[in-house]
Amino acid sequence: MSARKRTLLKVIILGDSGVGKTSLMNQYVNKKFTAQYKATIGADFLTKEVQVDDRLVTMQIWDTAGQERFQSLGVAFYRGADCCVLVYDVNVMRSFDNLENWREEFLIQASPHDPENFPFVVLGNKVDVDGGNSRVVSEKKAKAWCTAHGNIPYFETSAKEDYNVDAAFQCIAKNALKNETEEEIYLPDTIDVAQNRPTKSSACEC
Amino acid sequence: MASPGGEGSRRNGPNESLRSFTERKKHEHSNPEGISALYEELFGDEDNERPCYLPDSGEEDNRVAEQDGTISREEKGGGDWKVERELRKEEGTSAEEAGPKMSNELGAGDLREDSGRGHEGEILQLRDQELSTRNGGSAESSSTEQSVVLDGELSSDRGLDGPVSPTSSQGGTSGYMAGSGSSSASTSSISGTEAANDQESEGTGNRKEERGAWVPGKRHLQEDDTHPSWRRHKKHFFILSNAGKPIYSRYGDEHKLAGFSATLQAIMSFVENSGDTVRLVRAGDHQIVFLVRGPVYLVCISSTDEPFQLLRDQLELLHGQLLLILTRAVEKCFLKNSKFDMRPLLGGTDVVFSSLIHAFSWDPATFLKAYACLPLPYGARQAACGALQDMTDTGVLFSVLMCGNKVISLVGSRKASLHPHDLLLLSNFISSSESFRTSESFSPVCLPRYDSTAFMHAYVQYLTKDTCLILLTTDPNDFFHLKECRAQIEIVLRESDVLREVENSIERGGLRIEDMPESEGSPSESGSTRGDRASDDATSTSAPEAVPGTGGPAGLWHFIYRSTYLDQFISSEFSPPLNTRSAQKRLYRAYQKLHASMHNTEGGGPHKMQYRRDEFHVLLSWRTSDFELYAAFDPLAEKSSAIFVCNRICQWIRDMEAEVFLLGAAPFNW
Repeated sequence: MSARKRTLLKVIILGDSGVGKTSLMNQYVNKKFTAQYKATIGADFLTKEVQVDDRLVTMQIWDTAGQERFQSLGVAFYRGADCCVLVYDVNVMRSFDNLENWREEFLIQASPHDPENFPFVVLGNKVDVDGGNSRVVSEKKAKAWCTAHGNIPYFETSAKEDYNVDAAFQCIAKNALKNETEEEIYLPDTIDVAQNRPTKSSACEC
Repeated sequence: MASPGGEGSRRNGPNESLRSFTERKKHEHSNPEGISALYEELFGDEDNERPCYLPDSGEEDNRVAEQDGTISREEKGGGDWKVERELRKEEGTSAEEAGPKMSNELGAGDLREDSGRGHEGEILQLRDQELSTRNGGSAESSSTEQSVVLDGELSSDRGLDGPVSPTSSQGGTSGYMAGSGSSSASTSSISGTEAANDQESEGTGNRKEERGAWVPGKRHLQEDDTHPSWRRHKKHFFILSNAGKPIYSRYGDEHKLAGFSATLQAIMSFVENSGDTVRLVRAGDHQIVFLVRGPVYLVCISSTDEPFQLLRDQLELLHGQLLLILTRAVEKCFLKNSKFDMRPLLGGTDVVFSSLIHAFSWDPATFLKAYACLPLPYGARQAACGALQDMTDTGVLFSVLMCGNKVISLVGSRKASLHPHDLLLLSNFISSSESFRTSESFSPVCLPRYDSTAFMHAYVQYLTKDTCLILLTTDPNDFFHLKECRAQIEIVLRESDVLREVENSIERGGLRIEDMPESEGSPSESGSTRGDRASDDATSTSAPEAVPGTGGPAGLWHFIYRSTYLDQFISSEFSPPLNTRSAQKRLYRAYQKLHASMHNTEGGGPHKMQYRRDEFHVLLSWRTSDFELYAAFDPLAEKSSAIFVCNRICQWIRDMEAEVFLLGAAPFNW
């Protein structure tokens, strides 16, 4: 454990299947893109170290499967997340409509301390497809949704073209850090001899 | 190399004492006189020399076959292999075979760990690796070697599976595991070469270390789960939060292993979701052991073949060490904030965990639930206890005087009891933290078995280079009082010459089997065995120094004696032929297994007595209401004389009880 304090951020990526969650993550972490679709099973985990201002941050990225049959992963999975990334495909209306469900699902399962201010980031992916001609969700519509849900930052991205991916993840890290709760001072109790000793000593089984 | 019936070993130094190859096993013997009815009942009709309780005795023949293969391989390898010991063929064969265990002759700078019985595969692979190193280290040569050498059952796990890594695609054992790589996509990098290199792990860089010597701090820090070398370590330990955030990893940087931590958490959570808890996953020769303690998850991934329960106990101890540093109050932080990152609170304590994990492989205290005392004249120990006792009456909860990890004296206030594990964890915490050595310290510590929810405070000062005084109090403002206590204790200890006696004891070292007194009732047979052996050695080898290396009476090599009432144990020093780290570790692992099977309540246990023979040792363990004895003998040792010697050990220890144990240690007797 190094002397310099490093921060670890748990980032969960949610969204319908096929919107490009894994591709975004792969582009961000490995600078790779493949057009071949391979469904994520359960979840994938990647780590990436980034510098945010003067802090060294390790992002632990949880790339989840979009299929409904994996939704049961539930509570334990979302526990302790620092940031949640919602991804949709700008060419598929349904994936945008479902953002609402993903967000609610996350808030229920993760039950964060302060749900109103929990850091989300929304990514509209696949803006490169067909030169933007097959697009069905306009930027304006998406931004309106984000504003209505507590000014969620919004990015239009293309994992294929590596467009806006770095910027989006940089924002994710920043927002997660902003939300970091103040470090509480850790002050455990000291044994109260008068109270504890008789019971404790007899309770101690060797 | 060894050829049947001939002398094939090379000696590389006067200390390398080898046993003669020409030695024959004696099949027929009568039970010597003086053996109790119990022994006769247990062993009287055992004329085929099979271990009484050995569950897997059927493997023996296979093993011998393996060895045959090995030897030819060895010859091809040629060069300067040094044979440390030889093997005995199981039944009625005329020749002894050279065992495959090699010593560290190559300059690779690493000492291999191996894991007790049933590890021919490892040894063969060890050689493969060395051969390939020799030949320029190509992966091809290594894996070919493997397929040639490893036939039969032993080739199964090793060659095919390689080290498991939950981040790699392990054939889809769980949906979670599949495809879960980390930042670089190296999920399929496991090859035969890696398996062959498996030996390097634990001892890397330690070759010259004496037993117990340990390099503080974390090694292999630059590694992460994408490094083949990281995957090859034989025993990993991880601590993580139930959100999957890494807290501690034995090897590699925790942050770089964040993806791996997440994988572990996902596996555990997946089972947790169904209202269950995962305890063990077996994958090839790897065991993945899980322990959930509140919001803290502990995981051990091991290919050391240690019993499951033992690994679990080690995780419990690791958790205890965490509590010793932070108390259970840390769990509240997770309740308040599930994002809580525990790592900053543990800053600088890497070394404490690493040192404990090291102890798992060397300190019997970790599995015996007992502590060891420094042998001292009775009077000196009494004087030390007296000095501590006086202070305990002034409000000190526990006073402990230790030398290394051995207790000189230990006094607790009335009604307070100290669990051997608390003592182990406390002693590890103090001895592994370098800063305690340089100045007097006052540090909050938690004794998890005494009260895991709260801190007490430890005043720590080294009185000499090795001798450390620990005073525990519950009053955080007690520093100056304890400082005063220490001064008084120190005066008494110096005046009564206790510290000098301690120095003398350190100089003398521990018990040596060679020093065990001859007993009058020694059966003639045992004597003649020794005689034959000596003369065989003399004729077949040109180095007469070999004789002392055959161990104590009846081929006794080593023993551990644990007193049930005192929760204390004493073990003999390692002496030739147990003079390599690998031989010592092999014996340690064998003891661990033996201990586990003696106490195992499933599968026929717990046992009162066991006699095991494998290609490396004869092991005898004996458990009564007063003590447990674990003794290791030369693999050719005869059962009857081994039993006789065990009786002598017990008598010897009883005679020395006042010196080797802390008697009347109030904290443990209630």
